[in-house]
Amino acid sequence: MAKTKLNFAEELKKYGAEDFEACYNCGNCSAICNLTNKDDSFPRELIRFSVLGLKQELKGSIKPWLCYYCGECSTKCPRQAFPGELMMAIRRWQISTYDWTGLSGILYKKTFAYIIAFILTIAMVLGISEYLNLTHEKIMHYGHLFEMFAIGGVFTFILLPNIIRMWYWSIYKHNIKFNFMHYFKALGELFTHMFTQKRTLSCEDTQENKIWWFEHMILVLGYLALLFTTVFLDWFGSKNMIVVYFGYIVSAVVFIVTFDFVIRRIRKSSEKTTFTHPSDWFFVIWLFLMGISAFVVRLFIDLNLLENSFFIYYFHLIVLVQWAIIIVPFGKWSHFLYRSFAMYFDKILKIK
Amino acid sequence: MKERIGVYICHCGGNISDYVDVKQISELVKEEKGVIISKDVMFACADSNQVDMINDIKENKLDSIVVASCSPKLHLHTFRNVAERAGINQYNYVQVNIREQCSWPHSDKPKEATVKAIGLIRAGINRVAFSESLEDIEIKTQKAVIVIGAGVAGMKAAIELSRTGNDVYLIEKDYFVGGRVASSNKVFMSDQNGKDIVAQLYKEIKKQNNITLFTATEIEKVSGSLGNFNVDIKITARYIAQNYDTALLQAAIEECNIFVPDEFNYGFSERKAIYKNYPEALPDVPVVDIKAIKKDLGFTEKYSKCFNLTQESQLLSLQAGAIIVTTGFDNYQPKEGEYEYKNIANIITLPELKRLIELNNGKLIFKNKAINKVTFIYCVGSCQTEGENKYCSRFCCTAAIHTSLQLKEKYKDIKAMHLYREIRTYGKQEILYEKSSKQGDIYIKFDEATPPLIEQKENNLLVKVKDILTNNIELELETDLVVLVTGMIPRANSLETGKKLKIPTGTDRFYNEIHPKLKPVETVIKGVYIGGACQGPKNITESVQSSLSAAAKVNALIKSGSIMLEPIIARINHDSCLWCGKCEEVCEYDALKQSEINGKMVAVVNKASCTGCGICAPVCPSDSIELIQYTNNEIEAMINGFTKKIELKEQEEVEAVLEEKTAIGMKEFPDIWKKIAASITEEAKTIPQISKELGVKNDVITYNIMTMNKYSIVDAEGIDDMDEYYFYKLKN
Ligand SMILES: Cc1cc2nc3c(=O)[nH]c(=O)nc-3n(C[C@H](O)[C@H](O)[C@H](O)COP(=O)(O)OP(=O)(O)OC[C@H]3O[C@@H](n4cnc5c(N)ncnc54)[C@H](O)[C@@H]3O)c2cc1C
Ligand code: SF4
Ligand code: SF4
Ligand code: SF4
Ligand code: SF4
Repeated sequence: MAKTKLNFAEELKKYGAEDFEACYNCGNCSAICNLTNKDDSFPRELIRFSVLGLKQELKGSIKPWLCYYCGECSTKCPRQAFPGELMMAIRRWQISTYDWTGLSGILYKKTFAYIIAFILTIAMVLGISEYLNLTHEKIMHYGHLFEMFAIGGVFTFILLPNIIRMWYWSIYKHNIKFNFMHYFKALGELFTHMFTQKRTLSCEDTQENKIWWFEHMILVLGYLALLFTTVFLDWFGSKNMIVVYFGYIVSAVVFIVTFDFVIRRIRKSSEKTTFTHPSDWFFVIWLFLMGISAFVVRLFIDLNLLENSFFIYYFHLIVLVQWAIIIVPFGKWSHFLYRSFAMYFDKILKIK
Repeated sequence: MKERIGVYICHCGGNISDYVDVKQISELVKEEKGVIISKDVMFACADSNQVDMINDIKENKLDSIVVASCSPKLHLHTFRNVAERAGINQYNYVQVNIREQCSWPHSDKPKEATVKAIGLIRAGINRVAFSESLEDIEIKTQKAVIVIGAGVAGMKAAIELSRTGNDVYLIEKDYFVGGRVASSNKVFMSDQNGKDIVAQLYKEIKKQNNITLFTATEIEKVSGSLGNFNVDIKITARYIAQNYDTALLQAAIEECNIFVPDEFNYGFSERKAIYKNYPEALPDVPVVDIKAIKKDLGFTEKYSKCFNLTQESQLLSLQAGAIIVTTGFDNYQPKEGEYEYKNIANIITLPELKRLIELNNGKLIFKNKAINKVTFIYCVGSCQTEGENKYCSRFCCTAAIHTSLQLKEKYKDIKAMHLYREIRTYGKQEILYEKSSKQGDIYIKFDEATPPLIEQKENNLLVKVKDILTNNIELELETDLVVLVTGMIPRANSLETGKKLKIPTGTDRFYNEIHPKLKPVETVIKGVYIGGACQGPKNITESVQSSLSAAAKVNALIKSGSIMLEPIIARINHDSCLWCGKCEEVCEYDALKQSEINGKMVAVVNKASCTGCGICAPVCPSDSIELIQYTNNEIEAMINGFTKKIELKEQEEVEAVLEEKTAIGMKEFPDIWKKIAASITEEAKTIPQISKELGVKNDVITYNIMTMNKYSIVDAEGIDDMDEYYFYKLKN
């Protein structure tokens, strides 16, 4: 016996869902979707869960993650119910249920909370450096240390528990017996999807889609490489020319690609960029700022300008901190991680 | 007996003569008894041939004619006219169909087609020999119409008929007019209030001075037939004094404190012993509840001037040329226990909800409890695969959805759930469905085999339903009010009323039209029409449409004061009739009645209502009934003619034509074909257009175009605006 929650639609709308109650169940969306199949029927089924407020069913479903938001379904819906956007909103809602801290939910629902969080981080960075009366060297050193600890901390204390919670609802609760071999065999899926997002390619066979996928992959690789160069190769402190140039290249990749993404969202060039939730804006803009500020910081170091224009480093540091403790664990960045795990869990469920 | 018969056998420009050997037939039938002339003609219907026929008839003093050509549906009246113009009775003409019955269906067997044609033509000749000269029956009609039922359908029909100059008697059984619409508040699609629609129609009725409205009136007895119906009516008392003082009556109403449950509001409220259904109900004269008012004799004494408590029902007799029945429908009443109706409180029907909305402003309260969640269950009493009412009631999906929009509009915080089997918001009504789902109404689809279950749970109701749209998942819905969306059923007394009028009901028990498409408002009883929801579920628009078409039909029928009917009806030999009543029993049109003639009881045919169906003739044990134009003599003679032996010559020509048909090419076209072809290469034209352009007579063009059509040289492309002439175009 399934429990309905009647005003759930209102809740989902706060996560960015549009007019999905208009759906009259024709099933066009599921028919047109390239990623759905006999075993994984969506988006119509998830629209039903949402309309009826079947929260339990929705929470434990991996299907929202199988959608890569090409938006094809939204363009074909005769009732303008925007099923594609609903899938996106469901993912945001799911993240907020996975997140044990509850912060994701607050941030998704209230842009105002985001802004307060951003302001608090600025105050924190400036306050700490002022309070400890740090030299520029020290600030840069602590900045570097922060990056290292942030990665470890955010992952261990926030993302990992959340992924375990996700596993609990989508696998454990479905009474699937644990089988080590299954978990091991499926592991390949986790990494392929994490690095390639190859499902996107099955979406729509258009030039635009391919370009988008390619850009996205380059961005993921560029981002991970930038992380690696700054954190492990200490780009800002390095004297090794190879490291320095590599850093320039990858940071340039990050801000160029994100710039293009911002433009797409402004132009609303495709269905997937028609609706932009504040969290989407923060994600692309902050990534862009990260790339470009890192690039400029290193440039100033090379041109010996940093000492006199140290605000540039402050700027970079603030963006970095906001990114690492707000956007990565609670914002859109985490989609990347949950999606990869969703693909992994999905594989586990499907090994028979 | 006719002894000077003329026979014309038509080629139909090749349509017939390509397969049927018309030349040989025309030679053969010359030998038939009574045949004076026999001719084969290219187009029998052509003006020129009609003139020839008239000349032939006059010159040869013919007394009857036979044309063997196309279907009588096409040209019966053409040749009846020819006969009349030549001075012979139109019923001494017989048409034999050798195109639809011979050349077209048997084009693969030309020889057999010819044999069949000869047989049919001989039958026609023998039949015409026995034909009688007849006159059309003229029925004088009353220029008045009785409309039964003053719902929207009846009121609209009455207004229309009065505007076209007929007297109308509008008979309403209730004390007030308006029918079901008066009790619905806002109605789709116009969003007007039902009361206002009724008030508007009533005003219109009062403006016309030739509509007589009878309220609280029922029909007692109907007699007579088309043109002259006699209807006895009974008017029930209102118990209000004839010349009452308005102010005094008003004071009486105010002072009256005898209360009874108000049936108009399904007992949700109370009304006084002097009442109207609702304050604006029309006519604006209240009614006295005679049983209730007697509880307070002091009160009746005090206001005795207002009342006439001994008033009796009144009987009256009305005469009219035609009757329109617009008695509407009843709401389906759920059986006890159906969806727990009456077993559990807080389960009501849609019509009840409509009244509840009317009575509650600000907040929707039912049994002292605020209602926030409403669950509609659809198709209650309709679409029953196993049950009695197999039909869909058409209006209810839209009415429920429209009501749900109204709930939201009037009470804001109401959540509606719709448990449906199929959403049938056809046409523009679909917009309401979209609006409702966009406003957040939840739609859940269930299967007839697993209907929703309703349970009482503490203060609430719990509805359990399997949702087809969500993998048949079983849902539990908490709700404050369940609304059963009940359908339409025939009026409780519809059979009784139907019997008085002799109009039949269908298997759905609604009144039946003759043909749903071709005669949608006509009943088998001539002069009795149906309109509105008494005929089957209809919304307001559809009800008014049908009653207006009935009104238009009636107006056309009686407007001139007389009706001409074909004399092809039953005829009774009063000498041999024994009055056994068998014929009366079988006649569906109520056309046979017992009557005394020359001191003897016999059956008599009512000329106005007999349709000539012929069903009475074979049941008569004394063989006293004949159907005019289908008498025993005629039928026997036809059989003899058809079965007579036939000797045929070989038909070389026909085979040759068939071969030629595939071989023909542009080179071999006669000159006139080339001219026609040139004229219609670019643009499709009608025969008169081509004729004008080429300066050639119409019939010549007709002949040639027909032949070109037969050889697939031209193609017909649609018909002109007047529905008269086809456009022809050259085939590429
Ligand atoms: C709850 C509900 C909501 C609806 N909402 C809408 C809506 O929003 N929009 C819409 O288009 N339609 C709506 N409908 C349908 C609408 O009510 C009907 O289409 C309409 O009433 C049909 O009109 P009618 O005149 O044929 O019949 P009725 O309204 O039934 O009128 C028939 C009249 O004949 C009288 N009568 C019956 N028998 C006799 C007799 N033997 N002698 C004399 N008089 C007799 C009756 O007293 C009545 O006054 C609704 C129906 C219901 C039940
Ligand atoms: S295409 Fe639109 S209306 Fe049809 S099922 Fe999907 S969301 Fe609903
Ligand atoms: S957005 Fe694309 S992938 Fe997602 S459900 Fe719609 S059609 Fe499928
Ligand atoms: S209109 Fe709708 S509710 Fe009414 S009978 Fe038809 S399908 Fe059922
Ligand atoms: S069936 Fe024949 S005999 Fe009997 S009443 Fe009718 S006409 Fe007369």
